[in-house]
Amino acid sequence: MTIGTIPSAAYHDVPYTRGGTVERSEVGALVRSAVDGDAAAWKAIVEGLGPLVWSVVRAHRLSDADAHEVYQTVWFRFTQHLDRIREPEKAGSWLASTARHECLKVHRQARRLVLTDDPQLLDTVSEDGAPEQALLETEEAAAQGERVRRLWQEFEELGERCRQLLRVLIVSPPPSYQEVSAALDIAVGSIGPMRQRCLRRLRARLEGRGTA
Amino acid sequence: MSDDISDGTGFDEGPGADEELLEEELRQAASLLDPVPPALLQSAVDAFALRDLEARVAELTFDSLVDAIPVRGAAAAPRMLTFSAGEVTLDVEVTEEGLIGQVLPPAPARVEILTGPRPATTATTDDMGRFTAAVTPSGPFALRLHTPDEVVMTEWLRT
Repeated sequence: MTIGTIPSAAYHDVPYTRGGTVERSEVGALVRSAVDGDAAAWKAIVEGLGPLVWSVVRAHRLSDADAHEVYQTVWFRFTQHLDRIREPEKAGSWLASTARHECLKVHRQARRLVLTDDPQLLDTVSEDGAPEQALLETEEAAAQGERVRRLWQEFEELGERCRQLLRVLIVSPPPSYQEVSAALDIAVGSIGPMRQRCLRRLRARLEGRGTA
Repeated sequence: MSDDISDGTGFDEGPGADEELLEEELRQAASLLDPVPPALLQSAVDAFALRDLEARVAELTFDSLVDAIPVRGAAAAPRMLTFSAGEVTLDVEVTEEGLIGQVLPPAPARVEILTGPRPATTATTDDMGRFTAAVTPSGPFALRLHTPDEVVMTEWLRT
């Protein structure tokens, strides 16, 4: 039983280059257009690779406020990197790697700072609706809501490495393994086997709860 | 890391259809439950206006957050940053009162403190290249120096 109606064809044929050769094929050309000043190309890059950047931030479990700042910082810096980029088709890997480095800095900073009760800082916490809100607003998904919620809960409770890996792998459109490698600093060759184990583990958890 | 990835089966068959289906369900769950917040998406789209084709980018070459050894007992040491673009160096200290900086070699410069696609705060260097600004950016920021010879802009950074 699937939730939506559009199954991805991304890895039926080429599991190890999924995303890397299909959805991502346009990235190089888009980057070159953006370098030439094409704002529409830039927007397409943000829409295509933004979810990847967001997944890296989420994989690192930042607070909402930190997550927002890191996300913005990565894109602001990319505007500077754009004109010096040597391999435009690897923009996704650059973004993922930059996001990872900024997330690690946040973790370092958190270890040094004492918790603040400064109201100004607390005010910067996001005002985005609770995740459940987005779900309820989608009529089509309402019927599947309970299953999606349980799936997500089991995913959130996976061990840290599995949760991190899957959070990045489940980006839409699917990331290339090079991008996943840059996002999490793991070898491309170990992504496939880890992915299988993590998905099996998630399935086992779901079956254990009688939801599969 | 709390878990051991190995599941003890000792082999990996190829991607199973069940696993792919599960991953696809999870992908749709992520799109529903944890999408990029719309305001952030828009902010990244708007960031294209931040491009400055004239400015030379000064790379971060020292960040006390990463490179310094914490001093025992120093409760809240200010963040020290150094940016370099060729022979131009910019030292910046981020304190609770604001930014303190120095351009080396000293040069008369106007310094813009950018925090996004919004109007910037401006400071001016003294004859030793020093400047202060009574703003502590929360979130991404960059400095843009206008010297008589050129424009230098620091990498975007998060305070």
